[in-house]
Amino acid sequence: MIRQHHRRHLGVVVAAAGFAAYAGLPAGAADQAAVAVGLAIRAGKVITMDGEDSVINNAVVLIKSGKIERVGPREEVTIPDGYRVIDAADKWLVPGLVDAHNHTAGSLMDLNDMVYLSNPGLRTLETITPDNKLIKQARAGGVTSVLLIPGSGTNMSGFGTIAKTAGRTVDEVVQRSPGSLKIAQAGNPERYWYGVGRSFMNYNTRQTLEKALAYHSAWNEYEAGKVADEPIYDPIFHGFRGLFRREYPASVHTQIYQVVMTTIDMLDKKFKIRTVIDHGTFDGFKTAPLLEGTDVYTINGPRQYWFDRSQRKMHGNAARWWQGGQHRLGVNTDAPVVPQRELSFQAAMACWYGWKPYEALRGVTRIPAEALLIDDRVGSIQPGKDADFGLWTGDPLDPRSSCEMTIIGGKVVYDAKIKRRF
Amino acid sequence: MTRTRRTTKNFALLIAMMVAGVFTMSALAFAEDPKPKPEEKSETSASSQDEESVDETEKKEEKKKEPPKDRYFAVTGAVVHTVTDGDRYGTTILAKNGKIVEIAGSVELPDDTEVLDATGYHLYPGLVAVNSGGILGAKPPDETTDVYSLQMTLALAGGITTAVSGNTAARLTFGSVEDMVVKRDLFTTLQYSTGDSGSRRKVREGFERVRQYLRDLQAYEEKKKVDAEAEEPDKEWLKGDYETYLKLMRREAVAQISADSAQHIVDVCQLAERFGISVVIRGAQEGWTVARRMAQAGVSATISVRPPIFSMGDGHDERLNRPTGRSIENAAILYKHGVPLAIVPSMSVVTTWGLAGRDLLHLNMEAAFAVRGGLPADAALRSITIDAARILGIDHRVGSIEVGKDADFFITDGDPLHYMTLTRWTVVNGRVVYDKQKETLYSHIRPDGDRDAPPPDDHWPRRLGADQ
Repeated sequence: MIRQHHRRHLGVVVAAAGFAAYAGLPAGAADQAAVAVGLAIRAGKVITMDGEDSVINNAVVLIKSGKIERVGPREEVTIPDGYRVIDAADKWLVPGLVDAHNHTAGSLMDLNDMVYLSNPGLRTLETITPDNKLIKQARAGGVTSVLLIPGSGTNMSGFGTIAKTAGRTVDEVVQRSPGSLKIAQAGNPERYWYGVGRSFMNYNTRQTLEKALAYHSAWNEYEAGKVADEPIYDPIFHGFRGLFRREYPASVHTQIYQVVMTTIDMLDKKFKIRTVIDHGTFDGFKTAPLLEGTDVYTINGPRQYWFDRSQRKMHGNAARWWQGGQHRLGVNTDAPVVPQRELSFQAAMACWYGWKPYEALRGVTRIPAEALLIDDRVGSIQPGKDADFGLWTGDPLDPRSSCEMTIIGGKVVYDAKIKRRF
Repeated sequence: MTRTRRTTKNFALLIAMMVAGVFTMSALAFAEDPKPKPEEKSETSASSQDEESVDETEKKEEKKKEPPKDRYFAVTGAVVHTVTDGDRYGTTILAKNGKIVEIAGSVELPDDTEVLDATGYHLYPGLVAVNSGGILGAKPPDETTDVYSLQMTLALAGGITTAVSGNTAARLTFGSVEDMVVKRDLFTTLQYSTGDSGSRRKVREGFERVRQYLRDLQAYEEKKKVDAEAEEPDKEWLKGDYETYLKLMRREAVAQISADSAQHIVDVCQLAERFGISVVIRGAQEGWTVARRMAQAGVSATISVRPPIFSMGDGHDERLNRPTGRSIENAAILYKHGVPLAIVPSMSVVTTWGLAGRDLLHLNMEAAFAVRGGLPADAALRSITIDAARILGIDHRVGSIEVGKDADFFITDGDPLHYMTLTRWTVVNGRVVYDKQKETLYSHIRPDGDRDAPPPDDHWPRRLGADQ
């Protein structure tokens, strides 16, 4: 009995502490003031993931108004008066992880609206569910930005949304909408209806894109003053204009050598769409040499190896993409297939199968940010970028290390000391 | 109750499959997975053993009257991590007929000793998978196991040397069934579900009846000393479940009961205490909330640290004002309270369809995640070696590097709790049963530690053995 009482009291204390922390977090006036004052983090090691791949030991990072103000060694950076200080001299400060292929930021029930074999007008924006229980877990794994894309049940299932993993309202979490267009080249939409195969799917995707391109060209001509009459607005194809202007990419569900070749040929070469190969699994890596001179990214996963029965070999997908020359390479979880918080472990497993740790860490930070064209805001620790980090007890890829604190926009959104989730 | 939950899970799985989309294909790939034919296998990695066994047969035929020659095997140069008695440097391990006979700095090796020079590598006792499927055959595994199966080779590459098939613990004696089975009838599985009060009462009443019988028996034995005509208590009814309960109460058997919720675990603890039975709790998801209760009842636990794939959260019940669901700290908290612990991934088979780090191949990574939750590293290693063996009741044979124990170990290029560590050799029964550089599966990954090694050539078509 005594024990139970004790626990109950403890529960109340923990709950109260959690409430206090949360109450002050995203929108509280007091916290806004605190953010305005500024935050300083003293870290044992900062993996900046900047262009020079700088790693700074015994570093200080200054944050103001949700953005990174300064990064440098402790001797060089003076913490201004009034800044709140997080002392983490024994921890690694790592950019918030970016998962470019995710299904957990919104309603899981509404991912595959399989009304037609192509549903190009849809978007996931309306299904965003801030602070849902899966996204809380994502924070516990140091993941701060995710691209919520629709499922691969149809050839074109709509536009995804890039969201932060903390915030109370849709406006707070959304980073960009449309985040990308989801195209499923093959390897799932077949189940839409009897008779659907690769030839039909390729025709289907191609003709949709041709119509969209024609629509885009008509508007281009009108805007250039070449035609007098304004084209009729079409809600299905209007979203494609940004795609053809390469303002956002296509996230392509594609895997297997032949299918990935079609992806590269159709989307990158013919339609000149910014293309992200989103699974790239099985023997998709054999296409790596074809990507030379392109800006196609590969975000491999959730599978991290392919068993080649003819050779009796286990090929690490990421390692083979890398060895084939594709260095615009990252990994994903396809959460909830692999839990979102294990994004760093996906990178670790890619290393077990032959990739290298630093490249793999870059593959869950800067690379997916570049792939989604959000690297001006996230994916690295540099002045001017969003203050999104994880404070880790060590190498973030090592399953023995844990993310002790996650910070988004300069606010602590996860603290393992209050409630550990991973 | 149970049924509802299961339906929800299946529904969630269905949704997730739709989400993933790729799973359909993976399932197909999994189903298609062919097992290599024995004759193919004999051309590849098993060749050395086969030659050896052929030699042995020939020798036997030559001198039939002499006893079989002793078989010696030694490992030199490796850092030996005994698990039970610290780490040894500059040590040689000598095995005779599959048993460790000497661990010392200087060992006189008999003639014909097969010597494995593992300088620069680390030697650990082979991992023990307390729950496994697909690696060994069905029951009895020594009669039904494909000893050349891909699954067995993969498990060996994961450092596993002992696994469980049904209710039997057996070693992964690749290419042979010699000394395969370690122990049969590991556990008596009891259904003692919180959700089913009727069957639970039946179990308790059964134990009560057996307890009364044991009291009557004791009284009879006392009485017999003074009264030769004392009547022995009736034992005609002691069959089936009652016989099982009797064995459990006499501690001739160990009960295994699945329990995940705190309530269910506490119920099992009460059962264990009331009837003095030895219990291993399987699952123990909420064990961290009732760890002290488990320690008091003296139960052991076999747990998975992470939830399975496609899981929709940690099972935390928001309606309850108390800690519920899974916790990464489960292993650490149970350990701190002194609950004996074995760790096994929730996916207790070796898969080949692409998801990495969640199946039995990476048993070591499941233990590494327990370290993340606060379990000391040495305890994590024990939870997949000696402590796992203890829970199965086979720690006199496997689980540590000690004289007299089975010569089952795996030799790695680093700490097995690190994510880059690869198994270089696995030894079972004093024989090299996995050699990374001879077996094609992983030979191209960091050969001899080279992180910049070129990718393997693509051979097509490829003939096994011919182009090696």
